[in-house]
Amino acid sequence: LLSGDPPRSPRSGPSPQGPRSCPRHVQFGSSPQSQPRSPSCPSPGPAAPSGVRGSTQPRCRDSPRPAWPAALFRCGGRLWMGRRPPSPEARCPAPRRPAASPHARSPASSGTSPGPQAGKMAAPMELFCWSGGWGLPSVDLDSLAVLTYARFTGAPLKVHKITNPWRSPSGTLPALQTSHGEVISVPHKIITHLRKEKYNADYDLSARQGADTLAFMSLLEEKLLPVLIHTFWIDTKNYVEVTRKWYAEAMPFPLNFFLPGRMQRQYMERLQLLCGEHRPEDEEELEKELYQEARECLTLLSQRLGSQKFFFGDAPASLDAFVFSYLVLLLQAKLPSGKLQAHLRGLHNLCAYCTHILSLYFPWDGAEVPAPRQTPAGPETEEEPYRRRNQILSVLAGLAAMVGYALLSGIVSIQRATPARVPGTQALGMAEEDEEE
Amino acid sequence: MSLVAEAFVSQIAGKVPFIHVGNQVVSELGPIVQFVKAKGHSLSDGLDEVQKAEMKAYMELVNNMLLTAELYLQWCDEATVGEITHARYGSPYPWPLNHILAYQKQWEVKRKMKAIGWGNKTLDQVLEDVDQCCQALSQRLGTQPYFFNKQPTELDALVFGHLYTILTTRLTNDELSEKVKNYSNLLAFCRRIEQHYFEDHGRGRLS
Repeated sequence: LLSGDPPRSPRSGPSPQGPRSCPRHVQFGSSPQSQPRSPSCPSPGPAAPSGVRGSTQPRCRDSPRPAWPAALFRCGGRLWMGRRPPSPEARCPAPRRPAASPHARSPASSGTSPGPQAGKMAAPMELFCWSGGWGLPSVDLDSLAVLTYARFTGAPLKVHKITNPWRSPSGTLPALQTSHGEVISVPHKIITHLRKEKYNADYDLSARQGADTLAFMSLLEEKLLPVLIHTFWIDTKNYVEVTRKWYAEAMPFPLNFFLPGRMQRQYMERLQLLCGEHRPEDEEELEKELYQEARECLTLLSQRLGSQKFFFGDAPASLDAFVFSYLVLLLQAKLPSGKLQAHLRGLHNLCAYCTHILSLYFPWDGAEVPAPRQTPAGPETEEEPYRRRNQILSVLAGLAAMVGYALLSGIVSIQRATPARVPGTQALGMAEEDEEE
Repeated sequence: MSLVAEAFVSQIAGKVPFIHVGNQVVSELGPIVQFVKAKGHSLSDGLDEVQKAEMKAYMELVNNMLLTAELYLQWCDEATVGEITHARYGSPYPWPLNHILAYQKQWEVKRKMKAIGWGNKTLDQVLEDVDQCCQALSQRLGTQPYFFNKQPTELDALVFGHLYTILTTRLTNDELSEKVKNYSNLLAFCRRIEQHYFEDHGRGRLS
């Protein structure tokens, strides 16, 4: 199901587009089976075909290209012509003109520099995801996959890296807020949406490669994902020393007390359901088998990659985004018990693949210091008011508790009968003295 | 196999299919393949590394999509559940156990669907996914006789098993088999295997 629209000119808007799009059509038409495209939507991902067929808005989206290496984008490959009648040079493949300003997405009036005109789509898409750590742009698998895909396609997303899932519009991370205000939180759906918005990294794949994408996605999800979940969330040593530590340090008070535990329970449940067919009595056996299959899966991926730069030649596709996110997480995190990690480190082409993508698409993130607390000035001062406030609050709470207990248990009583008398303990003290006498 | 016998067998072995060799019982496709391989027969010896990787990946695809779709159809589609699955699943048990166990199984399957993200899917979406999967398989097969050209492999066996079942099992609605029938090369593939390997059983149910 072609979530990414091939350049069918009737679809891409009124006819004036036709002649201008011809050169590009020819280019793509030459690829063998461009028509009966296979869907590159990964497996149990809901491919929203109805949405695709329904989308008749010929949006033109110019993505900010100037920064990216030209080799990765074939001429005008992922630029879609919408309704705007640009002058020919704006469409010229090689120079990515700043005339097409990064966030100009409305169908422009005639003119070479459309400018950020407020058309129907005023708000850019916003992506909320977990923030970075361990030398990665994000520590969460799904967030990383979505981020990588967005980088591959140059989609102009406003990325919010947060550590508090409750601040995201859907309550979970990652979440994409589209330009219409709709919130999508399933990673596959996010990627489908990006494809619909014409940021399609799989456009140039042949039918067979699209089928391969589906197949390898299934392989990843069946064999590698359970083990990744197990490595990061279930394996005690890893969980305590790496995962929980990062999340607890990153999350604000008071979430850091209960949220990591809750996430762990959710992951455990998910894992159990994923591997549900196996009988739970043989935990060790099951674990060994899982890891065995994961190692096999890694070896298979390595064999399939061979010495290529990406899985399907020279340009990254959605499969690359997913494989990269799975592998790089395993590779970069400093896991105390990393049997799978050791195996992965032995597969050199996969390691090179990861470092290549990391250096190419996330050059500055790679240099990020892991935990947010470590950056000197900023977060510290941010933390200060919170910490002071928390301290004051806790002292007040303690005092209130003590006074309340004292009052309730009768150690201290406030006598209201005679307002003239000195209140509190003194009154009681005097009463006691009277009694003793 | 009659309903009762099938249910009875699955109770003993835990899972069908299984093979009985000497005093060993090996069940499910994966272990059976391994077992046979250990005895020295393997279908995928002639493949190179990349092809083996592809084969495994496609087998996972089939397991992931087709199997889950079949499960969904059996247990989450109300029409099918009411008419066929409940009766079939509960047939070896006396009343009221047949109802209770059937409901329990249904609940389990629904939970699993939710965990893998299929919980909110409608029947149409599931059929779309099956279509995608078939399209992928069809494109991979192309015009070759088998998935890896001349020789059948485990992937061919798996795909044949699933597709044959889909094509020949009568359900309340035929949409699933219609989806498969859209791909003529897959149909031809099934027929070819049926004729070639099962012809001594006489009846060809794929017409």
